[in-house]
Amino acid sequence: MPTSTAKALAGLRVLELSALSGAVCGRVLADLGAEVIKLEPEGGEDFRRSLPRIPTRLGEESAAWLAFNFGKKSVTCDPDTDDGLKRFAALARSADIIVTDWERMNLDAMDRLAAIARQANPAVIWTEILPFGRGNPYERCAATDTTLQALGGHLYLNGDVDRPPVRIGLPVGLIQGGAEAASAALMAYWHRLKTGEGQRVDISVQACIVWTLLNSTMAWQILGLNEMRGGAIRKERANRFFTRVVWETRDGHIFFGPVGGGGGRAREKSYEALLGWMAEHGFTDEILTRHDWNGEGQFAIPQEEYDAVTGVIADFIKTRATRELIDRAVRERILLAPISTIDGVFQNAHFRARGLFVPLRDDRRGLDVELPASWVRMGATPLTIPSPAPVPGANDADFSDMVQGVPA
Amino acid sequence: MTPKAAARIAPAGAGIFAGLKVADFTWAAAGPIVTKQLSDNGATVVKVESFKHPDSIRLGGPFTGDKPGINRSGFFADFHSSKLGMAVDMSHPRALEIIRPLIEWADVVAESFRPGVMEKWGLGYTELKKIKSDIVVLSSSLYGANGPWAKHPGYGAQGQALTGIHAMTGWPDRDPAMPKGAYSDSVSPRFALAALMAALIHREKTGEGQHVEISQIEATTQLISPEMLVYQVTGEVATRSGNRKPGSILHGVYPAQGEERWIAIEAVDETQWQALTAILGHGTALETARAAGQDALDLAIAARTSPRDPFELMAECRKAGVPAGVANKASDLLDDEVLTAHGHFWPLHHEEMGTLKYNGPAYRFEKTPSELRFASPRLGEDTEAIMLGILGFTAKDVDTFRKDGLLQ
Repeated sequence: MPTSTAKALAGLRVLELSALSGAVCGRVLADLGAEVIKLEPEGGEDFRRSLPRIPTRLGEESAAWLAFNFGKKSVTCDPDTDDGLKRFAALARSADIIVTDWERMNLDAMDRLAAIARQANPAVIWTEILPFGRGNPYERCAATDTTLQALGGHLYLNGDVDRPPVRIGLPVGLIQGGAEAASAALMAYWHRLKTGEGQRVDISVQACIVWTLLNSTMAWQILGLNEMRGGAIRKERANRFFTRVVWETRDGHIFFGPVGGGGGRAREKSYEALLGWMAEHGFTDEILTRHDWNGEGQFAIPQEEYDAVTGVIADFIKTRATRELIDRAVRERILLAPISTIDGVFQNAHFRARGLFVPLRDDRRGLDVELPASWVRMGATPLTIPSPAPVPGANDADFSDMVQGVPA
Repeated sequence: MTPKAAARIAPAGAGIFAGLKVADFTWAAAGPIVTKQLSDNGATVVKVESFKHPDSIRLGGPFTGDKPGINRSGFFADFHSSKLGMAVDMSHPRALEIIRPLIEWADVVAESFRPGVMEKWGLGYTELKKIKSDIVVLSSSLYGANGPWAKHPGYGAQGQALTGIHAMTGWPDRDPAMPKGAYSDSVSPRFALAALMAALIHREKTGEGQHVEISQIEATTQLISPEMLVYQVTGEVATRSGNRKPGSILHGVYPAQGEERWIAIEAVDETQWQALTAILGHGTALETARAAGQDALDLAIAARTSPRDPFELMAECRKAGVPAGVANKASDLLDDEVLTAHGHFWPLHHEEMGTLKYNGPAYRFEKTPSELRFASPRLGEDTEAIMLGILGFTAKDVDTFRKDGLLQ
């Protein structure tokens, strides 16, 4: 348990000119104790209105905007006006990190602001989240999260083989790009602490997606193998055979790779525990023990045999409720998990017991909600406790205090 | 010690983390991906493996020559560039005679075991702090250090199921499709690294170390934070929706010429839509299809993309400012012009595996470039060099440890 209330990034000031990914970067830094100031045009940034929206007392507001912007400050600053540019330069002088992303502004606008900020404050960490990174002929190409899921190689690997590849239905690239940017900006800040030197940091969201593949680029180089996509049935890791990984229970779905998913004692023990349980209910087909399904020979077992064994296991799983499967699994170390829907994650007993969810009461918006805000436990420097997201220009009155004392 | 061995353990001359010392007990993917960011940026990272229980992903394919072997896994290799490898019998009652000086040497200890393993070895945070008062310890595990599932074995494929990522992927009329990989292993390192950096920054400023404890699935829930807000406020449970995305005029994955060739295309606004219809032709027919609804539009677009070369079509879209991405296969990634221009892959030579292209970071530092200095270590490759050159043991000590079974 934390013994102090010190924040790890206390005293660190972040300016954010963002849409989604820059806001996630700011979210992580704010959680770790930085002061994050959003710079917004009059009326607020466009991302405040992105889909999906939820009703609040202030009107329809973007759920993603609210989720990633609570606890930040907002200052009106329109760099397209002379006055806005002056305000920007004054704030930049006081900042440690400035973050922006390509959904908020194009590269020309970034270059213009970066030049002003870095002239005002050479030690600042200028952080950009871009689809393809900086300094290459593709830096200006249009991109969205889905086209980047495709270009990063992840899209190709998802979905049933009789239909097109299917995306993860969340902006996973943009959000991961934001978290990656927070890490990289802090690495650059670490360098600055030691040397006083500021610099530009840029993130490629495409490369962030490549990093979600785990072993695919090696599988191609080493085996000449392009994995084929799968849905409920797929080739795990670099296997040559398909196995079932999604199972229907009496009331939902679980993820489970009982056979052929790679080596290791945990897999073997998990399978043994499953067999014991199945036997209790009279599921004792000889196929279940015909092969060493998780041993070294697993790679040589024919596909038909895998189909046969998973058929028997599927018949058993169908007779069980998800909750019963999970309870037994945790007790006996069976490597399965519920395929949780959003409400399932929200109600998950393990998250609840650990205190992942932290309440946020926002009276102005009439929101009384819980956020998954406790994503890391820092022994000496606890995370910032959530507080409401700012209305546009919420901190305009504090502007002169914010820039006071910073040498021009 | 050979000159080659001495060169491997010599501290990096450049890089953000040059001089930072890391005792790395992490294994599998989520932990090693974090410490790879340290080693590829100049830190001296000593990966400690128990030779009786080496890192399990050494047993996961793809294997060089399709022949399983402890030093032949590309899966393992990719996450261990620029790291030194040391093999000790961690279960030996005298293991701490070797590990204690390693902790005294280190700034950071990283581990990703199930809770309790480090404690069993006498290396829990309290003990580590007694050895080195300002140590920063990163503990990353799937479920976190406490809670009802803390000791349940698991890996990232369970993680993506537990965090809603799996449920958000696939077709609404089918079972949820398993996203490739082990998604929480890819998401959590970005958050873990940010937290670790914050702890290092705090230590640099105050001299105080701490324990950073992260649950990989809790970090991953950040991706569905907006959807959980929607659920709480409206009761709506977001779910998988194939490739549909509200708000865009066009958003889908369409067939193209060639075997399993697909292209993701999105038209966010009217300008992009007009540009796309100009590329695909038959603008009036496409307008009619658009008016008829998403199903009709998808069919009409697919009919026009299917005879097209996907890469040529993507190039045309890029020129016209339309977001488009070929669903890259792993083989495409190695040749991808954008990743190549970005310098994403690093060819590194390994004694048993030959030269392979390793994935480099998704971020770029303007002034302190990352460098993948050498290939992944063979099991225990640097044991002797570390014992002599870093920990200050004599050759005689090493012989004795060997004879006593602590070292191989």
